[in-house]
Amino acid sequence: MKKTFALFAALALAASVFAVEIGKSAPDFTGTDITGKTVKLSDYKGKIVVLESYNSDCPFCNNQYHGGATQALQKELADKGVVWLLVNSVNPRNPSHRTAAQAQQEWTDLKIAATAWIDDSSGDIGRLYGMKTTPHVFVVDAAGNLAYAGAMDDQPDPSHDPKTARNYVREAVDDLLAGKPVAVTQTKPYGCSVHY
Amino acid sequence: MLDRHFINPGLQPGVRRRTAFGAASAALTRWGKPLKRRWASAPFSTGLKPGVTDRRNQKGETSGLTFVRFVALIILVLCLSAKPAPAQPSFLGDGGQAGHHTQVKLLLSADSARPGDIVIAGVDLKMDPAWHTYWKNAGDSGSPTKITWTLPAGVSAGETQWPLPHKLPPAEVTTYGYEDEVVLLAPLTLATNLPPGPLDISAKVSWLECKDTCIPASTVVAAKINVGSETKPSAEAATLQQWQARLPKSQGASVQAWWEPPVNNDTRSLNLAWADQTMAQSPDFFPDAGDNFEVQSATEQVTALATEGPGAIHLRKIVKKFAGDSPWPREVSGVLVGGTGESRAGLQIKVPIASEASVASVAIPASRSTASNAGLPAPLWQMLLYAFLGGLILNLMPCVLPVIALKILGFVSEAGSSPRHVRVLGLVYALGVIASFLVLAGVVIGLQAAGHHPGWGMQFSSPVFVVCLATLVLLVAMNLFGVFEVTLGGGALDSASQLASRSGMGGAFFNGVLATTLATPCTAPFLAPALGFAFAQPGPVVALFFFTIGLGLAAPYLVLSWQPAWLKFLPKPGAWMQKFKVAMAFPMLATLVWLYTIATSSYGKNVLWLGLFLVLTALAAWVYGEFVQRGRRHQTLATIIALLLFLGGYGFALEKELDWRAPVMVSSGAGDLKESAQGIAWHPWSPEAVAAARAAGQPVLVDFTADWCLTCQANKYSSIEIPSVREKLKAINAVALIGDYTHTPDVITAELNRYHRAGVPLVLVYPKGPDAPAVILPAILTPGIVLSALDQAK
Repeated sequence: MKKTFALFAALALAASVFAVEIGKSAPDFTGTDITGKTVKLSDYKGKIVVLESYNSDCPFCNNQYHGGATQALQKELADKGVVWLLVNSVNPRNPSHRTAAQAQQEWTDLKIAATAWIDDSSGDIGRLYGMKTTPHVFVVDAAGNLAYAGAMDDQPDPSHDPKTARNYVREAVDDLLAGKPVAVTQTKPYGCSVHY
Repeated sequence: MLDRHFINPGLQPGVRRRTAFGAASAALTRWGKPLKRRWASAPFSTGLKPGVTDRRNQKGETSGLTFVRFVALIILVLCLSAKPAPAQPSFLGDGGQAGHHTQVKLLLSADSARPGDIVIAGVDLKMDPAWHTYWKNAGDSGSPTKITWTLPAGVSAGETQWPLPHKLPPAEVTTYGYEDEVVLLAPLTLATNLPPGPLDISAKVSWLECKDTCIPASTVVAAKINVGSETKPSAEAATLQQWQARLPKSQGASVQAWWEPPVNNDTRSLNLAWADQTMAQSPDFFPDAGDNFEVQSATEQVTALATEGPGAIHLRKIVKKFAGDSPWPREVSGVLVGGTGESRAGLQIKVPIASEASVASVAIPASRSTASNAGLPAPLWQMLLYAFLGGLILNLMPCVLPVIALKILGFVSEAGSSPRHVRVLGLVYALGVIASFLVLAGVVIGLQAAGHHPGWGMQFSSPVFVVCLATLVLLVAMNLFGVFEVTLGGGALDSASQLASRSGMGGAFFNGVLATTLATPCTAPFLAPALGFAFAQPGPVVALFFFTIGLGLAAPYLVLSWQPAWLKFLPKPGAWMQKFKVAMAFPMLATLVWLYTIATSSYGKNVLWLGLFLVLTALAAWVYGEFVQRGRRHQTLATIIALLLFLGGYGFALEKELDWRAPVMVSSGAGDLKESAQGIAWHPWSPEAVAAARAAGQPVLVDFTADWCLTCQANKYSSIEIPSVREKLKAINAVALIGDYTHTPDVITAELNRYHRAGVPLVLVYPKGPDAPAVILPAILTPGIVLSALDQAK
């Protein structure tokens, strides 16, 4: 019993630690977006990809969007050829779950400017990347390696002005585009739990 | 458009019940932004979701979305008409106000207090079922509750004190927080020059409450206290006290922390080890939040370290560093947690993290750092072999010798019987031994299950056991003297062969039981490591070990009874047997003296009454033997007299005067432990004493011993408390520490377990220099062993 538990704990440790590693190849995945289109990470090889765990009912996530800060960043980076994928891993039993229709409505209402919103209600992609919070952001470089993992910005609370905060995603992408090593590769993500 | 907003509160489960009232009560701001802004920016969030209605109805939650809409509409109208100040919470809009699942109030420990007093303030957060708020380190997600005090001049608040939180699921995103209710505490100090009169204490409390979704909220709570000439506790003082009891302790076991190789990755394994039996159940470590590193929530309990006993706890945590070039933390702080339910305990720690290189030296067996892989100190079969050899050698230890004499006698008298009968007796004896060992195993397993630390020979720390055994040994001695007859000694002198075969069986079995009982205070060579190993194993393995030891103890007799030819080396039965039998009563008396001495440590001078009881019992045995067994008349009367003597002795001496079952422990005057004027200057052992001496650069000799441990006493008089060792200790400026295990204190059990021992003796020599590991001396010492160990220690 004890041993089983220890084994389980060890597996859990292994899962949480080795899910993804900075500088290593970001694990590939295939998902379906809210319009029914298939999205495959490796299809974007050659482009920088931002993955964001997303749940707008979460105040931390809400804070990034309700003033338009993240939409603006999405536009800014899209102009630079960056792909931005929202990953919504909220399970279907949770009140914050969105059906495809609801998600499309929200997309329009919020003027989301990402490349796609992936319905990950199974939680597969979220768990593959060890997404813990909403938001929790990952930046994959053009070669398909993980360049950044962590928080959206340096203000871990749900009421700050994200426009004036230090945005780690922008910094990482800018470093990559400039051909420089990414200065901040990992931060502690903050937010609500991903509702797997 | 508007509709979408009305719906909002309804989307938060649990809101319906209190929508209207919650809105009124909430003057909650902190997280908020002007409501106007919300209207200005494209209102987002949950939006209108037809699916929501469906799900609700499926779940049977039919409390009426229309009602929610209605209430929400009223709220909206109220909000709009009131032109809400910026103080209105913005997101989740009206729902943010109405959607509180946490009731907050401020408690003070006193209604009135004097200047200079410290008053305990508590922020009481009551969460709705299944909602939670967070600890000071929220963990993987969430946000800690914040308290900002508004205090009148002359009142200052100390740091917030957090009761022990719980780990909250799911496993992928573990957080630390509170469900149902928590009271966060802070001491308020009143200045000595505070003028009398009422004071307003208030605090702004901001928190994040989560269930299926999270809601940030804040409120201002206030309370009054009167400054006067007397301190009057408030009605809430008791509640606050209860919550104070749930704060982690700030002092307790010494904790070791060290990195485990490899240490060159982005993630490292941090090991934490401490000994506290109250925390042995589901131990865990809740870290403080780090700036650029994170102690991850998953906890691995290193199972191999179970060999260190139930009180020693060893955890492994993964530490992840966020910034590649920042240094690794040099110390770790947080709360160690263990135990379940009401007995859950916490210990606040802040300890330096040792590099793995210097770890093996901190008196931790080197096997520790690799323990999870190496697992056992030695393979099972080898330990079982030790157990068998140990059992075999136990026959030669002073404890068992008197019984052996009886056994030999039995063999001699039975030598003439049929070989089959001798074999059966041998088997029955072995059965008696093994059955007793299995009973012991059962006791050990039971104690372990109850969370205690069983130890070899521990029953001798029970005065009740000692008294019963002393009585038994006295009766055996009386019997050997011939004062009375019992069909003992393998039915040695019984004439009727029929009876002999039956009572011989009983005698043989009893001999086996007695041999085992008397064997336990002795630890033989080989037995110590085997027992140390066995005591930390699961139940079946414990039973297997005890079975093997019993087999070892019984082995010589089994062999003899199956090879009766070897019995011819023994003298022929004859009159000598009667004399030998009486002679053997004297070792029994010696055993009695030893037991009497042990009883002294429990009863002190009152042990006199035990002596009186024993004398009366002996007298009763004589009356019984002389006038009942051998007498011809008045046998009934004699029986009554014998019984009266025994029961009178019991009732008067043991029950009335000695109160033998609940003795007052007599401490052995720990101040001066010197045996004599020239004796070794012993000091009482404690982990701190060892650490202090080592820090001072002195070698240390530690003797874990017990009054009832004969091997320990033999070691002491043969090899420790002797002139050459005394001089050597002085010459190398060593510190001598004695760990008294007579009453089996847990702290020593834990230490013994660290060295994979289940009992005493254990003699350690710590060499000079803080890095060298302790040298473990063998179970049986010679002066040479001790002297050379000390020589190498300097």
